[in-house]
Amino acid sequence: MNIQAAPTRQTDLAAEFAAIAELLCRCTVQIKSDRTGFGSGIIWHPDGLVITNAHVASRPDATVKLWDGRVFEAAVTARDSVRDLAALTLKATDLPAATIGDSSVLRVGELVLAVGNPLGLVGALTTGIISRLGFVETPKRQEWVMADVRLSPGNSGGPLADAQGRVIGVNSMIVGGLALAVPSHAVKRFLLISGAEAV
Amino acid sequence: MSSFPSERTSALLALSNDLAATVEQAGQCVVAVKARSRISSSGVHWRKDIVVAADETIRRSEDITVTLSDGRTVSVTLAGRDPSTDIAVLKLPDLDLPVAQLGEATSLKVGHLVLAVGRSDEGSLNASLGTVSALGSAWHSSYGGLIDQFVRLDLTLYPNIEGGPLVDAAGQVVGIAVSGPRRTVLAIPTATVNRVVNQLLEKGRIARGYLGLGMQPVRLPERLKQTLNLPSLGGVIVVNVEPNGPAEQAGVTIGDVIVALDNTPVSDTRDVQAMLSPDRVGKTISVRMIRGGTVVELDMTVGERPRWEE
Repeated sequence: MNIQAAPTRQTDLAAEFAAIAELLCRCTVQIKSDRTGFGSGIIWHPDGLVITNAHVASRPDATVKLWDGRVFEAAVTARDSVRDLAALTLKATDLPAATIGDSSVLRVGELVLAVGNPLGLVGALTTGIISRLGFVETPKRQEWVMADVRLSPGNSGGPLADAQGRVIGVNSMIVGGLALAVPSHAVKRFLLISGAEAV
Repeated sequence: MSSFPSERTSALLALSNDLAATVEQAGQCVVAVKARSRISSSGVHWRKDIVVAADETIRRSEDITVTLSDGRTVSVTLAGRDPSTDIAVLKLPDLDLPVAQLGEATSLKVGHLVLAVGRSDEGSLNASLGTVSALGSAWHSSYGGLIDQFVRLDLTLYPNIEGGPLVDAAGQVVGIAVSGPRRTVLAIPTATVNRVVNQLLEKGRIARGYLGLGMQPVRLPERLKQTLNLPSLGGVIVVNVEPNGPAEQAGVTIGDVIVALDNTPVSDTRDVQAMLSPDRVGKTISVRMIRGGTVVELDMTVGERPRWEE
């Protein structure tokens, strides 16, 4: 790790972290679907497509609150409870959508950032690295991005992003302290199969 | 941030890439170790055909396999183990594999970024990032093993990474990552691993000094301390003497209170343990003790602790 060279670079680490955190907070929403509390979601498309976990959007409709405070009623347009994904649509345009990264080219050790609304806190940032990539029996054999990053239940459905702020996963569960996120390429497949992106 | 920064302009991206490259490079010498029933652990290809793992994760002495960086799974033999330093040595068949680039844990400072690297049983790399949270001098584990340096880590040690290398920011292996008491994460430094590996390969075991005594710490009366000119109020009272053991042969009996070994005051059984390092085996140690209100000195030859049947 060539850390000694860092001070001569044109931007500094702390400022970059702050900039990416802000970028991520803007595309992260709070979702309330039932009485169990808030989950998180990601604005996937500026025209009102939001991705979250199926266990966060457990009912046909949900209330979505944006970073700027606006509140929308959203409808669940696609759901896959095995892959734990749900697509919501809300009537809005020009939303601050996430930039989606390619989760098929990740490397163990890469820095990652997670944003979510754990325990009622809005826009909480945690950082870590990718700890492991591949398939895990959960209990069905599925592909995951596993991150060494601290998450809490309210992080569910929120973004896991790379060092450039590109969303590479949807935070879904914590197993033995390890954060498991649905890879962004699995989200794309889910949208393709369900046809939710065309809505 | 309308356009994404390149590595040339982004310190964060450069750090991220460096971390990933360090994991990949160090990971070449990391193997998955299958020697317990559920979750595999990790090990380091320490030197040619020698893998070091955490002894705590080796739950059987036969039918142990390791999964290598190239995906192959091979059978290994347990060449030796030392629970007192949590080190087990596995012997690989003759293979052409990269060995660890060893550094010294003495170069670590509190706050340094470190990585623990492991391999999961299906062969993929695992990593955990953290910092050195505390450093200290040499210490004895609860089993009496000498660890050359205390290195505590602020890092999550996932079960399948345990026994894997602790890698510093320069990509060098400075120790193995193990779980310590009370959910702490510690590193067994390179110097300790080298010493224990040498002893295990030479003798197949770590000789431990043995007196053949059962002891309990006791406090002595202030008046006795003054009368006998003792350095402290503490000592260990002998509650059991092993027949034909070194202590019995030297003439120690139940009720004797040991106050010093080789002029080093002892007030706890730990202090006695600390005097029984491997190099003491076969050597003479002077014992100062209180018997019937007077100080008695005698010489004892330190024996070797009998091996537990496996």
